Amino acid sequence: MTGWRGHGRNMLIVTPFFALFGLFGVWPVLRSAWLSFTDYHATDEPVFIGLRNYAELFADERFWTALANTAAYMGAVSAIAVVLGLVLALNFGSNSRLHQWVRVAFFLPAVAGGVGAISAWKWMASSEAYGLFNSLRATLGLEPARFLGDPQWTLPVLVLVGVWSVLGYNLVLFVAGLRAIPDELYQAARLDGASRWQQLLHITLPNLRPTLVYVSVAGMVARFQVFYEPYLLYGAVDTLGGPLDSALMLVTYLFDRGFRQLDLGLASAAAWVMTALLFGLAWLNLRLIGKEGRR
Amino acid sequence: MKPAALLKAALWLLVPAMLVPYYWMAIAAFKPVAELLRRPPTLLPQAPTSRNFFNPDWAGTTADPDRLAGILQVQVEGHGFLRFYANSLLVTLVVTVVSLLAASLVAFVLTKKPFPGSRWLFRALLLSMMLPWEVTIVPNFVTVAQLGWINSYAALLVPGLAKAFVVFYFRQAMLGVPDELVSAATLDGAGTLRTWWSVVLPLLRPALAAIAIPVAVGEWNNFLWPLLVVNDAATLTLPLQLGKMAGDLSFNPQSAAVLMAGSLLASLPAIVLFLLFQRQFVAGLQAGATKG
Repeated sequence: MTGWRGHGRNMLIVTPFFALFGLFGVWPVLRSAWLSFTDYHATDEPVFIGLRNYAELFADERFWTALANTAAYMGAVSAIAVVLGLVLALNFGSNSRLHQWVRVAFFLPAVAGGVGAISAWKWMASSEAYGLFNSLRATLGLEPARFLGDPQWTLPVLVLVGVWSVLGYNLVLFVAGLRAIPDELYQAARLDGASRWQQLLHITLPNLRPTLVYVSVAGMVARFQVFYEPYLLYGAVDTLGGPLDSALMLVTYLFDRGFRQLDLGLASAAAWVMTALLFGLAWLNLRLIGKEGRR
Repeated sequence: MKPAALLKAALWLLVPAMLVPYYWMAIAAFKPVAELLRRPPTLLPQAPTSRNFFNPDWAGTTADPDRLAGILQVQVEGHGFLRFYANSLLVTLVVTVVSLLAASLVAFVLTKKPFPGSRWLFRALLLSMMLPWEVTIVPNFVTVAQLGWINSYAALLVPGLAKAFVVFYFRQAMLGVPDELVSAATLDGAGTLRTWWSVVLPLLRPALAAIAIPVAVGEWNNFLWPLLVVNDAATLTLPLQLGKMAGDLSFNPQSAAVLMAGSLLASLPAIVLFLLFQRQFVAGLQAGATKG
């Protein structure tokens, strides 16, 4: 039995960690909740202004633009990456050396998908004729497009880069999920004369539900908080949102209002609105596709 | 062709497509500037050059494309690319090593040596994992500024040292550490720290290796936080410098060659390590999936 002296020593041992966690993990939560109700520009003390930051936020057209862009981006990337990831897992999920290497190729962006890789995408999407995208257009006899300057191209480019960066991750999670389905289920179905389609619909998908829920919820939550891809591809010197704010995401908006205009109260309010939206999103997902997994 | 065969062919085409950005980066890094701006682009460097990395004819500020600084010669306020590389390495190594050791110690104490209130501490950790990082970023910036840490290594290192999700991860791993071993060590007179270091850590080695990967990848690629707290060349990290150069790309296409050389150097360690330790990477990034 550990006596109080032992307890004291153990508490002391974890104190440095919890001091740091308190300073950078707990205190900021309380402080940002408070700051969201204040007028605070970093120089003077925060002044309580009630709900005015929230009112200003909801009255700001750019906030709604950011929300719409983020929702479109998140929806498109998540849907494509979930469906395609699952199709890939069904086709490249075996233990063979070949399939393992295929998965490595898809997984590479999860490991080396940082600023360097996004810079390569930016170079490929160059509006000039020497950009890879535009030279592909040229082979089809099309005029060069301004992929990074024309708002109608913003979402397709961002979705392409987004799917590219998360696909391998989804693939790997789905492969793990598929392997957890007991083989006897398939054997029994085959004995009953079930076609491959029927097996997919009645065995694979229902049993994969926990993985499907996890992949889509976690994926949507992560996409919702996208920042550096649009920032690097479209964040030119002055307008962080790209052409006509078509690449303005919620985090970009928070960054712009909070750290460039130093309206830290409003940025805090934006952070809490994002938190509420994220909780709503997770709840909705669980309601729609969760419904308790089979296990 | 049957639809199924067509689908299969399309899926196989995706495999090389995934690698195109890396290929394009790698060939651009070795193309002379003139060739890089040729239309249509060449698919292999016609006259491979190492000038984008180091240009022996570099002549200071100039518009002459043959005399541009290579990536290793680029200077920002007297600091070069290797400095930014070293900064990134330092931050990645220190944060990964310290945060893993700290989290494993905390997880050990909370699970095997609980004290009154330790459950509440664990619940606080779990709760903090549910909130998105946007909530903490504004106050943390203010805290770091008030501490006078802007442009210092402390700003890059300290806020990342206490990671709740790593504690959570180690708590699961701790289930594999038999209680008997811990009490045997205690009976032998070993204190908590000694038991953690010589009994628990060796048993946790696979878990440490697995979680080190997502933590290190995250730190190596970290962009937003350094962007907020660093604007001085001395503490600039690699992603920040590359991000600045990428920002110039739109109005200065000549810089693409040097940027691609820098991107290649930044991506290469991750690619090589990944190819060497594929299994560990995949398992590790799955383990890190619990991250908020």
